[in-house]
Amino acid sequence: MNRLRENWNRYWFAPENAEQFALVRIVSFGLFFLIYLPLDDRGWTQISPVFWMPISAFHALSGPPHNAALIGVLQILWKVSLLTSAIGLLSRASRVTAAALGFFLLGLPNCFGKIHHLDGFPVLLLAILALSRCSDALSVDRVLRSNRKTRTAVSSQYGWPVRLSQALFLLVFFAAGYAKLRNSGVAWMTAANMRSIWLGELFTHMPPTRLGSILAQSRWLSQFAGIATILVELSALPALFFRRLRVLTLVGLLGMQALIALMLGVYFTPHLVGYALFLPWERCYKKLQAKPRSVRTLALPMLL
Amino acid sequence: MPMLPVRFASLAIIGCLAITGFDIATGLEHWPFGSYPMYSTVYSEQLSWLRLYGVTDRGEIPLRGERDFAPFDEARLIMALGRLQSARGGDRKLGEALRNLMHLYNRRIAGRWPTSPPLRALRLYTVRWALRPGLEGSEPPRERILVAQVNADDEAGP
Repeated sequence: MNRLRENWNRYWFAPENAEQFALVRIVSFGLFFLIYLPLDDRGWTQISPVFWMPISAFHALSGPPHNAALIGVLQILWKVSLLTSAIGLLSRASRVTAAALGFFLLGLPNCFGKIHHLDGFPVLLLAILALSRCSDALSVDRVLRSNRKTRTAVSSQYGWPVRLSQALFLLVFFAAGYAKLRNSGVAWMTAANMRSIWLGELFTHMPPTRLGSILAQSRWLSQFAGIATILVELSALPALFFRRLRVLTLVGLLGMQALIALMLGVYFTPHLVGYALFLPWERCYKKLQAKPRSVRTLALPMLL
Repeated sequence: MPMLPVRFASLAIIGCLAITGFDIATGLEHWPFGSYPMYSTVYSEQLSWLRLYGVTDRGEIPLRGERDFAPFDEARLIMALGRLQSARGGDRKLGEALRNLMHLYNRRIAGRWPTSPPLRALRLYTVRWALRPGLEGSEPPRERILVAQVNADDEAGP
């Protein structure tokens, strides 16, 4: 039992420094702000209740929202909260607002017939960051409180939120690979199935290139893609535990999602934040610290 | 790290992993968690899809989700129409849905320049293609079967 507890603590609660975690906060919220800036949910207020097929907590609503002005205000609030969370202004309130409104605004479109699997992970990440202490360093709040020396020690409370977010991100892909095997078995990996997916999307989606049409002409490439997809997706589970495999898996997944965008016209843009979680932020911060003083005096106030 | 935050964090971690694991094992969806089943079935070489066509004074035109029925995108719109079609009272629900879509479309083109003619009717077809290497995506369907139609005369708002 003690051994299990030790392993659990070593995996989830390895000490990290506050600055490294703060960089994750800045990049995550900053990217979310940029990615979701064009989001506009007001159009859903014009959709007939006949399309209303609620998911998750949306079952609590009596029907689709009809007040476009209210949705407009909520989405402005949400985008502002993403920005203030990034810079660490009114940090706790900003992050809770970002998580709560993110759940509503990103979940709402999924109540009209189909769940798109783009926004589930961002909602989870927003919730985890809301629960965490990611604003203990490099935040406007800290500058305003003028107590820069406090709460910037190395601590295990700065490590587990990133570790959990990384785990949930990798499990997204493992789930996708497992679902293919559960629903279709090895038949999913055949060249014929890959061809049908690629060619079918030419009619059902609007891919930006004809790459799917070109690659579908090669039986060998179709077969390779089918097997490689399953292998890369399933490798996401062991990648949780093996650092070297993790790098390979992440490169494979990023490449796969880039090809999906080009061939199928399905864009997993919010997942960029998930990949960013794995970048070596500690090294970035050390490099920033090592810069000549003249550069730091310009750069750090901007970060803070 | 003090004991209380560790317990709280451990609880959050166990909760997230438990729901994720449950969804993966069962194939159920508890959004924002999920089993991510997209593209997980075996696709036939005969593609069957629903598609909307508008009827204007100039004839019948194919319509697409993103362009003509925003905020719907094509995949969500077609999936939603498919679910309505197979639901109890499907004909009535499909009629109501198509009237709403025609209203959306006509409102949308009213602000467009150059102007497009408003729809006189909206038709939902099942369209079919035989998928074979060499297709480019612009080929017309091999077969079209009318599923539902609404006319401008009986259009109503949402």
